[in-house]
Amino acid sequence: MLSRRWSGMVASLLVLSVVLAGCAKRPATTQASAPAPAGAVGSTPSGTGGGAGAAGPVAQSGPGAGTQPSGPAAAPTSRPEPREFTAIPDLKDINFDFDKYDIRPGDAKVLDANAAWLKSNQGYLVLIEGHCDERGTNEYNLALGERRAKAAMNYLVSQGVQASRITIISYGEERPLCSEHSEGCWAKNRRAHFLGKPR
Amino acid sequence: MRRPLSALVLGLFVVTLIAPWGSPPASRAQGVDVYINVTGGGAKKLNIAIPEFSVVAGTDAGGVAKLLATVAGQDLTFSQLFSVVAATGSIPANDPAALRQSWTEFAAAGAHAGVHGLLAIRGARLEAEMRLYDLTTPEQKLIGTKSFEMPSDQARRLAHKIADEIALQFTGDRGIADTKIAYVSGPRGAKEIMVTDYDGLGPRPITRNSSINLTPVWSPDARSLAYLSYKNGYPDLFRAFPFERRPEQTLAAFVGINSSPAWSPDGRSLALTLSKDGNPEIYVLILATGVFRRLTRHAGIDTDPTWSPTGREIAFVSDRTGSPSIFVMDPEGANQRQLTTGGYHTQPRWSPKGDTIVFTSRQVTHDLWAISPDGSNMRRLTAGPGDNQGASWAPNGRHLAFQSNRLGVWHIYAMLADGSEQTPVTRSPGEQTSPSWSSRLP
Repeated sequence: MLSRRWSGMVASLLVLSVVLAGCAKRPATTQASAPAPAGAVGSTPSGTGGGAGAAGPVAQSGPGAGTQPSGPAAAPTSRPEPREFTAIPDLKDINFDFDKYDIRPGDAKVLDANAAWLKSNQGYLVLIEGHCDERGTNEYNLALGERRAKAAMNYLVSQGVQASRITIISYGEERPLCSEHSEGCWAKNRRAHFLGKPR
Repeated sequence: MRRPLSALVLGLFVVTLIAPWGSPPASRAQGVDVYINVTGGGAKKLNIAIPEFSVVAGTDAGGVAKLLATVAGQDLTFSQLFSVVAATGSIPANDPAALRQSWTEFAAAGAHAGVHGLLAIRGARLEAEMRLYDLTTPEQKLIGTKSFEMPSDQARRLAHKIADEIALQFTGDRGIADTKIAYVSGPRGAKEIMVTDYDGLGPRPITRNSSINLTPVWSPDARSLAYLSYKNGYPDLFRAFPFERRPEQTLAAFVGINSSPAWSPDGRSLALTLSKDGNPEIYVLILATGVFRRLTRHAGIDTDPTWSPTGREIAFVSDRTGSPSIFVMDPEGANQRQLTTGGYHTQPRWSPKGDTIVFTSRQVTHDLWAISPDGSNMRRLTAGPGDNQGASWAPNGRHLAFQSNRLGVWHIYAMLADGSEQTPVTRSPGEQTSPSWSSRLP
């Protein structure tokens, strides 16, 4: 009765293909041809080697344990600076249905034109931004934006654009084109946006 | 150190503690004890008197004696376990007759318990002692004491620690006033990480990179924050140390997204989302070795992991069956099972008590729901106004912080785990989102 502890008492089918046509040519690897960087502070430069999945020690987990981090890891070198890319009038946006990342038939034509421009302008690299509308939540929309950019990339690759020329980035819901809370606005914000830069 | 409470006070707390968590509101009135105060909200609380502290040394030019009583009282009120009885002035130190007289008057005003606070101001240090009295007994029994010391510029923190100790002595569960809430501040395109006291006071910036910074998450020891930043151009994960002069760490900067950090309960690992292998999948990063272990292998989106408090399960979001739903797996990625169906469910957050997963459900707007880890007892916690999403548990599992745009712009709010007692936390201009409630500060 005089017990002092009361705590005891309280006690998509998304396989649904990303690309409608031309899946067969979809690259098996990630978008960049360079090795994926692993960023981990305090890691020895060699890390554990062996590709993207490994990095050196990141941090001690408890007080006083482990090694002190030495400082920020070097910026990854295989990713071009997004700010170096600029708008190219011939590269048009495509849009997506709510919570979807498959390419709509009408947008495939836009992508065909984007692919044609890229094939005849081999000196250019392309950055594909994936965007969402404000509905949904942060973490999921980052993934959704990634899938949208990847779907657009896969389509371009299927049309013969080299994967090594393409970089993708997801902004989730963070960079809307239009800020009204309406379907018209949301539809514009669900997009893949294309930017270019000379090699 | 803590002494047994009187039978009377104990009886009162049996009812108080069981009611909010154990029984539905309708049955709360059952088993009522005549000594229990019933407030407007229907919950039974302990009425506690906290007069201004008595200054026993130094000069209190800054009004600390009053501030300690006021802030500790606000903390106890926030807990919803206590109701603070109004008081003016302080009780003299070393005057048993005056103390007895004061407690007799507070008892007559309905107080079940009293806090006699003593304050010594010694240069840049504050020393405080609190003495807890059971006013339901004729002898006004002393049931606990505790001393504290704090730099004089941290008077509010001293008050929070006093309140947490009062909660501990009366309920066996330390309060959560000495905690912080990290969040994202700013409009789209220019978001920085901030940290504030749990009550919204003292906000200060953690990042100042003029980029987009998202989803801060406290490590279990409350010493560091994992967060996403575009400061190097892409969505990468970093770790900041808000209370130390210590360089930031890069946690993950792979090609693709590096997002949704979730600390394991022991702080040694992070579950996170990487798309480096082609599409968003969940991985676990072992901090000591830097090794990333992949948990999910699916063509769809897998993201938004959250650990059970035992570390033996991870809930996450997947759209593998259509719209996003909550799934559960073990930390090796095996035994994946679907927990929710037929909705648009994201942002699972496993309770520190282990018995509840709160998540965001999108219908027309977003609201917070809860479900048991076995899939039973799905229930709604919020019903507007506006959108209510992005929950984070307080370390005692009794409160949740979340973001709501009910007033037109996003602010951080807190509520009890059953959705009641919703109250604003942040009051700054601009937008505040993505709260993460820390464990009790070290």
